[in-house]
Amino acid sequence: MYDELDRWVQQQYQLSQLSEGFMNILVRLDHWREQGAISPQQHVYLAALARREPFSLFLELNILFYAGVLAFVAGLGWTVTTYSQQLGDVLVLVILSAIFAACFWYCFSRAPAWSLAQTPAPNAAFDYVLYLGSLVWCIELAYLENRFRLLSGQWDLYLLATAGFFFFLAYRFDNRFVLSLALSSFAGWFGLTISHWPSHQDAAYRQYALLYCLLIGAVGALLQYRGVKPHFFGTYLNIAANVGFWALLSGVFQRDGYALWFLALLIACAVSIAWGLKRRQFAFVAYSAVYGYVGISSMLIRNIRDFTSILTYFVFTGVAMVVGLVVIARRFGRQA
Amino acid sequence: MRLYSASSEETLRARTLIKDWAGEGILTKEQHQRLEQETVSELRTTNIFLRLVLFLFTLISVCAAAALFLEIFLRPSSEQTDGIFLLIGAAVSYAAAELAVSRGRLYRYGIEEALAVCSVGFLCLGMQFALFSGHPLLPASDAAHSLVPAAGVVLSLWIWRRFGLWYAFLAAMIFAVFLSGYWTSSDAVQRALVAVFYLVGLICVAALRTRHRFDYLEDAYSPAEALLWLGIYLAINLKLSPSNLPAGWWDWVGSAGAASEYTRPFYWTTWALIWVLPPVVLVRGIRQKDRFVIAVGAISFILTFVSNKPYLGWPRHTWDPMLLGILLTGVALFIRRWLARGPGGVRGGFTAARLSGKDKQWMNAASAALGLVTPQSITPSPQTTSEDFHFGGGASGGGGAGGDF
Repeated sequence: MYDELDRWVQQQYQLSQLSEGFMNILVRLDHWREQGAISPQQHVYLAALARREPFSLFLELNILFYAGVLAFVAGLGWTVTTYSQQLGDVLVLVILSAIFAACFWYCFSRAPAWSLAQTPAPNAAFDYVLYLGSLVWCIELAYLENRFRLLSGQWDLYLLATAGFFFFLAYRFDNRFVLSLALSSFAGWFGLTISHWPSHQDAAYRQYALLYCLLIGAVGALLQYRGVKPHFFGTYLNIAANVGFWALLSGVFQRDGYALWFLALLIACAVSIAWGLKRRQFAFVAYSAVYGYVGISSMLIRNIRDFTSILTYFVFTGVAMVVGLVVIARRFGRQA
Repeated sequence: MRLYSASSEETLRARTLIKDWAGEGILTKEQHQRLEQETVSELRTTNIFLRLVLFLFTLISVCAAAALFLEIFLRPSSEQTDGIFLLIGAAVSYAAAELAVSRGRLYRYGIEEALAVCSVGFLCLGMQFALFSGHPLLPASDAAHSLVPAAGVVLSLWIWRRFGLWYAFLAAMIFAVFLSGYWTSSDAVQRALVAVFYLVGLICVAALRTRHRFDYLEDAYSPAEALLWLGIYLAINLKLSPSNLPAGWWDWVGSAGAASEYTRPFYWTTWALIWVLPPVVLVRGIRQKDRFVIAVGAISFILTFVSNKPYLGWPRHTWDPMLLGILLTGVALFIRRWLARGPGGVRGGFTAARLSGKDKQWMNAASAALGLVTPQSITPSPQTTSEDFHFGGGASGGGGAGGDF
């Protein structure tokens, strides 16, 4: 009864829309079929898609898997930290190792043959089992070091080994989650290594952040050039761009010796804009606009004490940025 | 009432769908090109990144211009003068937003959005300064002060209807939360009032959207309805209090709303409602095949599981998140397999298969971003030189290895 009423209301509404010269997608599809722009088969399929028949729960199920894995690992870590004394090292390690082994047995036994190109996961749960195994590995490693001091607190070595392991898993199983884990573990290794040094930490962090972004950018580019999982390149490039811009900005914010950093920031912005426009990857245009504006503004207004002058600066530069971006948007960025 | 014509918005919607279908290989390149020519809109659009950056820089220039004007022409001045200037600023911003659309034909371009947002901000600040001299952030017990959030609600709703910006609707809902605070000091009454506001909004939105299935207006009503359902749920769940948010998610849930703060009937009615509402929302979302409402149904279910023990006064265990995780993955697996066993992988009009290229884009972006977030929270901190060292120290680590071994 409800459905019939609903259908009648829809029909009446569509008729009223047609009389107003208004065409929703279903009316358009009918029109295109009559014109011969689409085949009758395409019409049936597309009309069903437009009516959400069937309705895909792909995204929702993936989010449920992800939330489930994250909640499980959170609880596991919390339980291990709270009850490690009562449970004993052996039991904790057996449980963690069993989960870890089960996850990787599952992944290795079901993974398709390795390929240079993008490989779809054999089933919907596969990526999340791999992710679970990787996170459990982190917990187990942390537990081992804290209880037994196997590497005498050398966390940087753990991070380097973990990064290597995650890179292997990411490429073996074509998994972006684990690739991001690998890249952040690798960044953690850089950071921890520098933290052991006695002095000049800020400058060292900055230089090594740049080295990190150049390294992962170069490796990403090389692997893409070689055709090894080229779809990963975007992840490398976005992380490299953000780390690089942060490092350059921190150099520009220094009180002395910022000229070279400022020059480097300008070059990076130019490269980022050129890349973004050429490849139609507008995230890079946005990065250069925001990071560049912050860097240039800090240079120009750092010695100005007059509030009115600072506000005047923001009014004029803000408007200039809007105009510049509108020009870019009209020439290059129309497509959403 | 709407600033854009129905045919323009529907044309843009058709264009987006065509692009998606062509990306999935359902339409050939030639068909895509031909249909694109038939769906040319006079509205100017841009991509999400340029939209965000344009929004940011418009916001910077408008706020700086307002501050500059105040600084140059109205210093020294009274708060009333500042308020009147801000009210004029609100009118000018709003007029500029209208002009940007009517003359510039901007559609989700960032510029007109920032101008509209500025008009709401200026209106509220201007009213506060002009009518109630005092610091705008200080709470006031005078009910007359509720005029400020009331004006915020009205203008935000107007902007939502006029420009179709979903976050203007969210802003209206947030202003509505502040409204009740001026009328009563009782938390229970405040929550009930907020829930009633949202319920009235929900009835209106639900009534309006029945006429708009499969057209562009459904895209506007769908997030509004989802936000209202979520708002009602958050208002009635006494164990969720935004004031405790910085304490961490797990600690936050349950730390608020002790049973003694409320009357017994009110307390247990809300407990019953937090169990009743999620299935109602989920069924509504499934019936409407509405992604946002389904998501709110699922989120409210999870929040109910998380806040049930504190409601009943039961102790929380460290393994509760593990059980929740097993439940979530179990439900996901069951639904996926159940759907896959249907004819053609479809049951009751639902499938677990991916039908849109957008889903894949979302998955790729989210998996790269979410993968970055979690390792920091589960990787132990490096200060491990002391013999007495116990790593972590917090119970809020994303991966949970944040406590002490």
